[in-house]
Amino acid sequence: MSRGAGVLTFFVLLLAAGCGSEKKAEEGSAEKECDSAPAAMAGQPALPAKFPTPDSVTYTGQKKTGPSSVVSGYRDGELADAFDAYKSAFDSAGYQVTDDEKEEDDAEVNFSGGSSTGQVKMIQSCKDRTSLAITIRPQ
Amino acid sequence: MRTPAAAVALVVVALAVACGGSKSKGTITIVVDAPFSRSPYIGDTIANGVRLAADQLNAQGISAGGKPYRIRVVRLDNGLSPARAVTDTRQALRRHAVAILTDGTGVDATWRLANQKHLPLCITYQGGTGLVDPKARPNVFRIAPTDHGLAFRLAEYMVPKSLKIAQLTDDSDYGQAGRAALDDAFRTVSKSVVVRITLPSSASDLAPQVLQARRSGATALLVWALPAVLAKTVVAARSAGWHVPVYATPTAEDPVLRQQLADHPSWLDGLTFASGRMTAELGSGPWSTFEAAYESAFGATYVGVKSRGRRVISPPDYAMYSYDCANLIAAAVQQAKGADAKKVLAALNQVSTHGANGDERGFNEINHEGVVDDDVYFARFGNMIFQPVKDDPLSSTLPVINQVR
Repeated sequence: MSRGAGVLTFFVLLLAAGCGSEKKAEEGSAEKECDSAPAAMAGQPALPAKFPTPDSVTYTGQKKTGPSSVVSGYRDGELADAFDAYKSAFDSAGYQVTDDEKEEDDAEVNFSGGSSTGQVKMIQSCKDRTSLAITIRPQ
Repeated sequence: MRTPAAAVALVVVALAVACGGSKSKGTITIVVDAPFSRSPYIGDTIANGVRLAADQLNAQGISAGGKPYRIRVVRLDNGLSPARAVTDTRQALRRHAVAILTDGTGVDATWRLANQKHLPLCITYQGGTGLVDPKARPNVFRIAPTDHGLAFRLAEYMVPKSLKIAQLTDDSDYGQAGRAALDDAFRTVSKSVVVRITLPSSASDLAPQVLQARRSGATALLVWALPAVLAKTVVAARSAGWHVPVYATPTAEDPVLRQQLADHPSWLDGLTFASGRMTAELGSGPWSTFEAAYESAFGATYVGVKSRGRRVISPPDYAMYSYDCANLIAAAVQQAKGADAKKVLAALNQVSTHGANGDERGFNEINHEGVVDDDVYFARFGNMIFQPVKDDPLSSTLPVINQVR
């Protein structure tokens, strides 16, 4: 097939994909009522030096994955607030936000600092709660 | 006489419009410097991604600062030689290229030359840790999984399985960069590695090295090597009756591996490799759109083997990276209101686009990496095609990409 036909196909499929993504938004979990919150972990997770914890964050566990670790938790409130809170907190703590992305139901803030790199992954799991998975890699 | 006069006037006006239109159109030259002769799969993948982006942008029309532009793509073959990459960079400068897209060959030698004229380099294959440094190398960008990300994700995936790992890296630049990245990733979990072996890439038989790994008590092979070397490693292990699990890097996707194991497809079963995710959180829609456009333009990349009687294709995942990089360059030209190299380079730190898989792509002044470590996933071969694994949190959420036609 010619490249011209390829370009035409691209735009047709782009329209189709656009319709598909709308469906995903309708099925988002941000409108669901929340069940009871997971229990907080005993003690505090091992975080890099000066790693920020924004207000309303509860840590529920920490798992070692080889050289790295993953801290799980949640923040009361909506995704957009959690996203802004982490970006601002990293800034205040002297960490660098190397990359960030926010979509309708999930967001990521990638960071560097405290002799580590990693990512805060946020998913709005229900109406007033955003679940957190913080991956920390030693630098 | 009125009719001939009107006809002449019409022709004159038409010519003036045509010539005027042609003269006023600027050219955005993007050079693709890739190993077309030595690694045609990599070279063509990178070039096709750029070509597709250019065709789409040219079709929809691109203007900057009120002036229409046309994107021209120039292919130069670096043959995996840094010296040739330097020659190609000089040629790109002579052609007033607005950017060079490269697999990464010779960037240690070419970035400085390019930076003298503010020419951006965008790496879309190699992940070497030192290649990209926004402070020291302000003109070098990358959209491809980094060695750091691949190595850490492999360590995160393998170490919890309590494997005794034989770390095999070949003696190519690719393998040696991988060795450095693995050493860093396994630094704090070094007990998981029972032996580190260098594979001679020119050797026809790697039985001695595989035997050394076996005698070390290894229960898994982690191979960071060129595709042909990876194939020879698998052959050496399986032909000796050793069914050790094998883990690898994105070179496992290269058709060469499957072609060299075509006589023993079952030897490839279970091989697990790390690579950049093809689809984003948005779902598979954008990826499918990109893949369909790619195949319409260039045809599917047939691997040369079959799976359950159907022809196996290689998904254009690395073409996605060069496609995204070309779109970012076009966005930077638009932001810079023209093809002035210095302004385009500055704009590359500010623009972002929606990538082929729907993810946002962009750089900033402190980060010139377009693929984050957490976007590395794992796939496992079965019947000559691969699928995301189920025992990794990210991979288990990813859709299976159709690889047969």
